[in-house]
Amino acid sequence: MLIYHLRDLVMTRMAEGVEFRLTVPSLQISLGEKIALIGHSGCGKSTLLDILAMILRPTGVGAFRFRPEKEAPPLDVAKAWSQRDLNFMGDLRKHRIGYVMQTGGLLPYLTVRDNINLSRQLLGMPDDGSVEELAKNLGIERHLGKRPELLSTGERQRVAIGRALAHHPSIVIADEPTASLDPIAARRIMALFVELVEEMRITVIIASHDWGHIKQLGLRRLAHRTSQNSAGTVTETRVTG
Amino acid sequence: MSSPIRKMRNIFRLALTDYFYEWQISSCFILALAAVLAPMMILFALKFGIIGSMMEQLIEDPRNREIRPVGSGHYDPAWFRTVRAKPEVAFVIPRTRSLAATMQLKSSSAPRIIPTELIPTAAGEPLFHNNITVPTGLRQIVLSEPAARKLKVGVGDRVDGSLNRRHNGQSERVHVELTVVGITPLAAFARDGAFVPLDLVVATEDFLDGRAVPPLGWQGDPPLADERSFPGFRLYASTIDHVAALRDGLAASGIEVRTRAADIDIVQTMEQRLSAVFWFVAIIGLTGFSLSLGANLWANVDRKKRELSVLRLVGFRTSDIVWFPVLQALLTGVLGWLLASLIYLGVEASINRMLITQAEDDSPICRLLPIHFEIALAFTVGAAVLAAALGGFRAARIQPSDGLREI
Repeated sequence: MLIYHLRDLVMTRMAEGVEFRLTVPSLQISLGEKIALIGHSGCGKSTLLDILAMILRPTGVGAFRFRPEKEAPPLDVAKAWSQRDLNFMGDLRKHRIGYVMQTGGLLPYLTVRDNINLSRQLLGMPDDGSVEELAKNLGIERHLGKRPELLSTGERQRVAIGRALAHHPSIVIADEPTASLDPIAARRIMALFVELVEEMRITVIIASHDWGHIKQLGLRRLAHRTSQNSAGTVTETRVTG
Repeated sequence: MSSPIRKMRNIFRLALTDYFYEWQISSCFILALAAVLAPMMILFALKFGIIGSMMEQLIEDPRNREIRPVGSGHYDPAWFRTVRAKPEVAFVIPRTRSLAATMQLKSSSAPRIIPTELIPTAAGEPLFHNNITVPTGLRQIVLSEPAARKLKVGVGDRVDGSLNRRHNGQSERVHVELTVVGITPLAAFARDGAFVPLDLVVATEDFLDGRAVPPLGWQGDPPLADERSFPGFRLYASTIDHVAALRDGLAASGIEVRTRAADIDIVQTMEQRLSAVFWFVAIIGLTGFSLSLGANLWANVDRKKRELSVLRLVGFRTSDIVWFPVLQALLTGVLGWLLASLIYLGVEASINRMLITQAEDDSPICRLLPIHFEIALAFTVGAAVLAAALGGFRAARIQPSDGLREI
């Protein structure tokens, strides 16, 4: 049962005369899997995650299928992009995807409770105490009434994790969620995060530049290779898995 | 709760929470808007007040609508019927010979006999306002203020009217008792005058010409057999704009007339020039206003691109995203307009208090009608929403991932 099935995906970007190219000949992620995408910054991790989160349009794609539910047939994301059906992908994000950014991504004008509850509220989900329980698990229940500006960076990341999980998505995508934290806090929050997604049976993809942080958490590491052509004008990253 | 309603409620809640959370920035936008809008309103109010009251005086003074014949002519009832039927004519009534339209008035309270000019009048008299009763029959009279003052009479008092003629070598005098039913203000008629029904003016002329007037018991030669024609008329155009056309029409049929058309022309030309100056300033001002409002709101959407991208990340659709800046711009527009209106009302009160004594009457120098406030509101909100919507569409068009990664 594959949640993601990608084939022959290409994303190219030009920056200062150098072409960055991300190619994914084949990528298959099963429902419930825990995936780690390890690599130094600038190698294309964020680009791949944004494509998987359907907030970035790939330059070329052979196949891109997304199957968030066992009971339903896979959805054709490649077709949605070619038809520029942004609402289709917006609705998929709302229901099925949680996203944790490296920093921020919280709305400064909402309290911690409202930030975590945002996705639930959009979906009209009932106020059943799950926000409080999540906050308790994340160790931020005493901050629920505060605005993000009063929180430390680590606490804000916990809130961001909370919001990504609160509406029980099929998949959570996290882009260097602990990169801005000190190593001890980073390990603790990463462990907590993985523990929560396991408990909630949510598929997770985590990007990180430091394998050391997560190797003991039992994640499958995606293979990738970065190469540069002799003239130095093209940098290509190939991801398979 | 259905999904679209829930969605709109969420959008409203988030947009308002954001707006009030950033109250300092929101206040700056409101202040900036009011700072441009209030002077525009004051400028327009001054133009409207000054030119408006000038035009009003011009329009309201019936003497500006008067068309007087030069010399005497022969105007028969058919001519009067034709003229009365014209839509540009408000009032027309025949005049008798002016030498045969004077009556000696005497009251019990004043010692002097006052020779008084008789002016024929009827319903629709342009010189009457403020509930002056139009005299009817042969025994009612409306006096001009100077005549009433000299006779020391008021409304309801009686005066004795007398006429004197030489008939068949004898001096004859007749009397008619008249009831004062109204007194016109000095501004309407400044000489000794009496507004009376046409029948009494005609009777006076008949008696002075030696004829009998049976209704009043005055003896003399038999009345005129053929249709009477009149040497003159009192004519008022329905508006000042019709004066020139009527004048030209009469001139074309050989009737030379005097009007105040030249004075009217001067004021109207001045009105047009002042209006042109106003619109010139106003268009520059409005352009500046729209640009500053547009630039502010556009920049604001740019500033919030990341937050808008976050909202798209959690699943708001592109079309929903546009609502955030639009709702906030709407609020800025309404609150800015409210503040500008308050500033304007304060300035209006002080301008009018400072300058009211210099104005000829009590019409305010600086004023706006409710419709002007409504137009200002509609324009402000329209411009604000347009600018924000354009900014919003631009923010919605970029890929969410670009907006997220930008900082």
